[in-house]
Amino acid sequence: MITPLKALRKNRFKTALIFMSMSVSISAIFLISAISGGVVSMYSAMLKTDGDIIVTQKGIADTFFSDINRSQMGSIAKMEGVKEVTALIFGAAPVDPLPIVGIYGVSENRFKSYALTQGSSPQMGEVMLGSKIYETLKHPKTILISKKKFVVSGVFKSKIGFEDGGVVMNVEDGGALFHKSASIFLITLSDLGKSDSLIKKINTLLPEGEAKTTDSFIDSYNQFKIIKTSSDVIGAMAFLMGILGIVSMMSMVVNDRKGEFGIMRSIGLSSRTIIFKLLSETLIIAVLAFAVAWGVSQGVLELIEHADKFQGYINGEITFTLLCNVFIVSVTMALLGTLLPAIYAARIDPMSLIQRGGA
Amino acid sequence: MNIIGSALEHYYGQEYILRGIDIEIKAGSFTAIIGESGSGKTTLLSILSTLLNPTLGSVTFDGKTIAEVGNIDTFRRHNIGFVFQFHYLISYLTLRENVALAALDETLIDPLMESLGIERLGGRYSDEVSGGERQRAAIARALINRPKIVFADEPTGNLDSKNALGVYELFKRFSDEGTGFVVASHDKKLAEYADTIIEMEDGIVKKIYQR
Repeated sequence: MITPLKALRKNRFKTALIFMSMSVSISAIFLISAISGGVVSMYSAMLKTDGDIIVTQKGIADTFFSDINRSQMGSIAKMEGVKEVTALIFGAAPVDPLPIVGIYGVSENRFKSYALTQGSSPQMGEVMLGSKIYETLKHPKTILISKKKFVVSGVFKSKIGFEDGGVVMNVEDGGALFHKSASIFLITLSDLGKSDSLIKKINTLLPEGEAKTTDSFIDSYNQFKIIKTSSDVIGAMAFLMGILGIVSMMSMVVNDRKGEFGIMRSIGLSSRTIIFKLLSETLIIAVLAFAVAWGVSQGVLELIEHADKFQGYINGEITFTLLCNVFIVSVTMALLGTLLPAIYAARIDPMSLIQRGGA
Repeated sequence: MNIIGSALEHYYGQEYILRGIDIEIKAGSFTAIIGESGSGKTTLLSILSTLLNPTLGSVTFDGKTIAEVGNIDTFRRHNIGFVFQFHYLISYLTLRENVALAALDETLIDPLMESLGIERLGGRYSDEVSGGERQRAAIARALINRPKIVFADEPTGNLDSKNALGVYELFKRFSDEGTGFVVASHDKKLAEYADTIIEMEDGIVKKIYQR
């Protein structure tokens, strides 16, 4: 352990460069994974609130573009095993002076899901604001949504950034604003075991709709797939960039230390020992870079979460699972990036010590 | 360890460096290879010490060819020590750590460093000691595993004459205790310490003197 630390200290400039390169790559992986994971988990949480089954327009597996008729809510509510049905409209519109804000039209029975910190649930012509947007708009009494005036009836606090930075109104007002009856129905069951049979019944009752369990809807939700794929691609690019950075820097390190590895070969140290020595050096850097990247990423996520510009919509979270995954990725990055230069170092011909004529 | 080189030839491209050399290094002997620059002494030493494969010919170690000695790293570590013109001590390690890097048995380090007169320098780095002390540390590294033979290429090339003689005397002392030495040098004073002197010129052995 002492020898790798001494080697790193001796080559401190290149060690610092490798450390910075790894820290940036690992931070990028942390941030993109945490932000995309945050978006998906926030939206999933919103759908899962009071929703064991979700009903969307048939063939439109997207909450924003879906349009279903609210008139069938009563029939669904009467089905055996159904505890409650709520209707939601998802929309986005300018709220003066903000260019785009999430607007949620919800049926009255869903108002109880919002923890009011002041005022009351909205009546017709009224809205309640998430605490984040309420602060951003500096405690307004009224707001303009797409040039239409609404009275602010109350303020609620939500851990879900999309809601906390959004506007909630009656489903009727939402319908008038976005020209649809409802985007989705969320159905809470009294008996989860009946979900399959209820899905069949709902699909028969609503030929223009499509019922799924909320979990299976989330798994197949195209927006989530796009977000996850984008995140994976960007993460993979950061990983590859990290590896390339390590390969190039370690190649320079090995070249600088040719005499050292040549003498190791001449005194009979095995190739495996030399490879292990270099791998242990980069592993130390990887662990330090991981710790720094974790701290930096937490700081950046904190800044983003509280930046007015993002209205609380970007709420990344570094979960324990993400932490473990990124640690494994960091170690893998270090090992893969060092392997080729280390193999080269282990093959340095001790003859170079005689031919080179200098340390 | 007896080393026999038979019909050794070595070329770099079209240019021959060694031509038709037959040589025997007897176990425990002190052999000096002397000659002018370009005479082929370093190439011969490299071939005899397993660092370089000859273009033609073969080398045996106690009757075994390189292919027969097994893992070359293990073979070197247990049987061969090297001393180069430049000490090649690892600069971020202390002198003692440099010796320890090669050691199979670390309990031998301190007595060996003491016998070389550098025991008090064990905690120092190579840039904190003199050229002669550095070369003594390099010799300690070469001797730490009690090799059967030590190859030294111009080991005094960077030393003043006083330190150079000190190095030869050390070689002679360890040679008398049973370690074989093959030393390549253009310094003719080396001949005074060797049992066998091989004089080289233009890639061939010009003369062999036995003492």
